[in-house]
Formats: sequence, C-alpha cells, structure tokens
Amino acid sequence: MYYPYFIAYITIGLTISLVVFYWAFKTGQFTDQQRARFLPLRDDADHPPVKATRFNRIEIYGLFFLAAAGLGATAAVLTFALYFSK
Amino acid sequence: MAAETQTLESPNTTAKGFALTSAFWMMIATFFGLLGATELVAPDLTENIGGIVFGRVRPTHVNLVLFGFVTPGLLSAAFYFIPRLLRTRLFSERLGVFTVVVWNIALVGAVATLAAGFTQGREYAELIWPIDIMVVAAFSLVFYNFIMTVKNRQEPILYVSVWYVLAGTILTACTFALGNVIWKPDSGALVGIHDAILLWFYGHNVFGLLLTPLSAAVAYYVIPRACRAPLYSHTLSLLGFWALIVVYTHIGTHHLLQVPVPTWLKVVAIVDSVAMVIPVMAFLINIWYTAKGRLGEIHADIGAKFVFTGTIMYFFVSIQGSLMALPDVQRVTHFNNWVVAHAHIGVLGFAGMIALGGLYYTIPKLSGKPLYSRFLADFQYWMVLIGMVGFTVVLTIAGLIQGNAWLNGETVYRVLPEIHVYYVVRAGLGLMIFSSAVLGFYNIVRSLFGKTGASS
Repeated sequence: MYYPYFIAYITIGLTISLVVFYWAFKTGQFTDQQRARFLPLRDDADHPPVKATRFNRIEIYGLFFLAAAGLGATAAVLTFALYFSK
Repeated sequence: MAAETQTLESPNTTAKGFALTSAFWMMIATFFGLLGATELVAPDLTENIGGIVFGRVRPTHVNLVLFGFVTPGLLSAAFYFIPRLLRTRLFSERLGVFTVVVWNIALVGAVATLAAGFTQGREYAELIWPIDIMVVAAFSLVFYNFIMTVKNRQEPILYVSVWYVLAGTILTACTFALGNVIWKPDSGALVGIHDAILLWFYGHNVFGLLLTPLSAAVAYYVIPRACRAPLYSHTLSLLGFWALIVVYTHIGTHHLLQVPVPTWLKVVAIVDSVAMVIPVMAFLINIWYTAKGRLGEIHADIGAKFVFTGTIMYFFVSIQGSLMALPDVQRVTHFNNWVVAHAHIGVLGFAGMIALGGLYYTIPKLSGKPLYSRFLADFQYWMVLIGMVGFTVVLTIAGLIQGNAWLNGETVYRVLPEIHVYYVVRAGLGLMIFSSAVLGFYNIVRSLFGKTGASS
C-alpha cells in the first residue's frame, strides 16, 4: 500500500509548510517588499581586471586549438557517418 | 557595517570546494554521457567490458550530472550569496568543507558501485543504500549550515533566493529518503505499482524540488546584480515560490498515465502539471522584467549570460513539460527520445546553464581576481548552447519517429535504422559538450589557483 506513505508525506509537508508560512507572516517577511527588491545589490564591488601575461596568451591559443580540433573531430565523425559509411 | 566587513573576510572555502566539485564531475559526467551515446551508435564497442556496458553507464551519467555537476555548481553559488544576503558569515566553514568531502566520497562510491553492478534498479534511484544514506546526510548537513546561518542573520527579511535554497535542500533530503525507500535497505523499493508511484513521485521531485529551486535562487541573485537593478517584484517572486511548493510536490504520476494507477492520482498530476505555468511565469516575468532594457549588462558578464540563457531554456522546458502531461500528447511523446530531449533542455539547458553561470559569476569574487579567461568561458558557453540545442533537435526528431512507430504498431528493429543517424549526431554533440567541460574545468582551476589572468 502506498497510501500511508503519501498521507504521511502530505500531512508532514503541509504541516511544515503552514508552520513556516505562519512564521513568515508573523515575522514580517511579507512586509517591506520594496526594500527586499534591493537586497542583492548591497554587496562588495567587483575587482578590476589584472594584466595578462604573454605566456598565458600562448596557453589560451593552445587550448583554443585543442578545442577547435575537438570540434573538427566532431564534424569529421558526422561527415563520415552521414556520407561515407553507407 | 561591521557585518559587511565580516562577510568580506569570509574565506569561502565551502563555495570553492563545491565549485571544484562541480567543474571536475562535469567532465566525468559528460564523458559517461558521451560513452553511452557512442554505445547506442556502436553497441559492440564495449562488448564484454562489464563495468561500462550501457546499463551501467547510463545511470552513472544521470547521477553524476544531477549530484556531481549541476547541484554542487548551484550550491557553490548559494554558499557564496546566502551569507551576503543575510549580512552575516556562513554558520560553519568547517562543516561546509566536511560536507564537500562527504559529497565527493558519495560520488566516488556511486561511480564504483554502479560500475560494479550494484544497483537498486529504479530509474534515478539506482544508488545502493549506503550511498543513499550519504546523500541524505550531505543534504541534511547543507540545510543545517544554511538554517543556522539564517538564525544568525542581521538582515531581518529573507530574500527570495534564501527561501528557494532552504526549501530545495530540505525537500530533497526528505524526498530522497522517501523515494529511495531507505527504510528497506536490501531492496530500496516497495512492491509492484505502489513502488512505481513512489518512484516517480521521487523521480520528478528530485529535479523539480532540487534543481528548479536552486536554479531560481541563483537567477534571482545574479540577474539583479549583473543588471545593477533591483528585482522587478519581490512579492511576485514569493508568490512564485509558494506556488511552486504547492504545485510541484505531487505531479510525478504524469510519468505513469499509461499504467494502472488510480485515476484521481493521474488527474491531480495532470492538473498540477498544467498549473506549473503559474510559478514558472511568475519567475520568468520577474527575471525578464528585471533585465528589461539591460541586456548589454547581461552580455557583458559571462555568468549572467549563462544564467539568462538558462531562464530562456526554463521557459521552453516548462511549457513542453506541461503539454507533455496531457494524455493525448503523451501517446506520441512518451517512452522515446522526446523525453530524453526534454530532460536535456531541463537539466543541461536550464539548470546546467544556470549552475555554470553561478560558478562564473561567483568565482572572481571567491578568488578575489578576475576570471582566468573570459574567452574560454565564452567558448564554453557557445559549445554548451550549440550542443544542447543540437541534442534537443535530433532527439526530438528521433522521438517523434519512435513515437509514431510505437503508435502504429511497428516493430522496434524496423525503427532503429531510421533513428541511427540521429544517434550519430547526438554522439558528435556529446563530444562537444565533453570538450566544453574540460575547458571549463581548466578555466575554473586556473581562476581559483592561478596568479594572473589570461588574454580575454
């Protein structure tokens, strides 16, 4: 029987939800909604970028080459499968 | 002001740990996806290699994407922004690091046991009992850390992201325990149709009450910050949150419309699946109106770009999901690759994109310096986007072919050659997603531990 599990889950879930909702209501969570809109904006400022080095630029080009090779291999697999494997 | 200084001094070790966890396991998870896709094209490829037969690779891929890549990525961002939104420090960094360790041990255990053939054989609930217990313990620890942080807060109002994170972690701890029937360690299952009902109650909720709330939480934090604009409406966001809690918790039976479960349960599942339009549109209207006229700011921040794209995918996957719950639609779309396409829009396109966005947005703040390479992150963005859209197109086509064949009574062996080409394209796209995961891992590791940035 699945009913006891569902009834237990629904009862517990509903009870907890109602308790939490009541707590939220009592503690004023649904008031001052205008201020709440700005909450994510109160934080530390972003850091300025640091300078790139020549070595890192070369490294990035190398990684870009590897990724492009991966894409090329993907295209080759598709081409082979679609046109040459019949 | 004292609280702000305290927050800034936080070492963010837990957030960094979850970021590394997500980036690393994304590589492994997508590799298993690629391997599985390749086996569908060439079934003899791994013949007689027991540990990586398709039946073991597929659950490994699914569990690692869910618990290895997406959830830790979202949690990493949450461990960063929850203390900031509450104007306090995380309750315990030490407990957070311990949680990361437990989490990773569970993941290693999941891979090892599934490869060794230890499974409970229920979709999305394959993990054996000891791993189940570790997963429940990990979620409970995360929730405890967050709720104690809430208790110590200096900001009286809980921003909507905090609501979503708390609900997502505690509901998953409960749903996972229930859905995996952890009170029956030997089987992890009930018997017969009752087990199917319970399983799909869990199977849908593990996405809907974990990935959806955590993704919404990240989006509600990142988009206003990236746009430097207040949220369009906090009241609307809370309406969406409570609607999600009410509606999403019991729609799992829409996976079982074609089997003998009670009609009333099917009706509840279908009606609430359609009613999901309410929390979904409440969320999307809020996010999109917050970003209205500020798409330049979104584009300038790679994290926000990932997150915003994820919200667009959320629109598609949710509308699709509501329609797929209708019996007439499901006659064609169920039990075939249409569902696989739907799952990839949801988990990779929506939650995966937002997890990556959360990582790329917070990592410069965690490390105290810019992202190692904006170029690599952009490149990863396009690879994931093209790969995910490609998955959707080819698997949807393959699904419609299969669905119509199923409806017309055609035999499977006649249909398989028709969808072979789509499987090949899917494997090719899988290679692209795996490559993007490798690039992402490199970029994130260098961003966290490197000394200088690269050319962007």
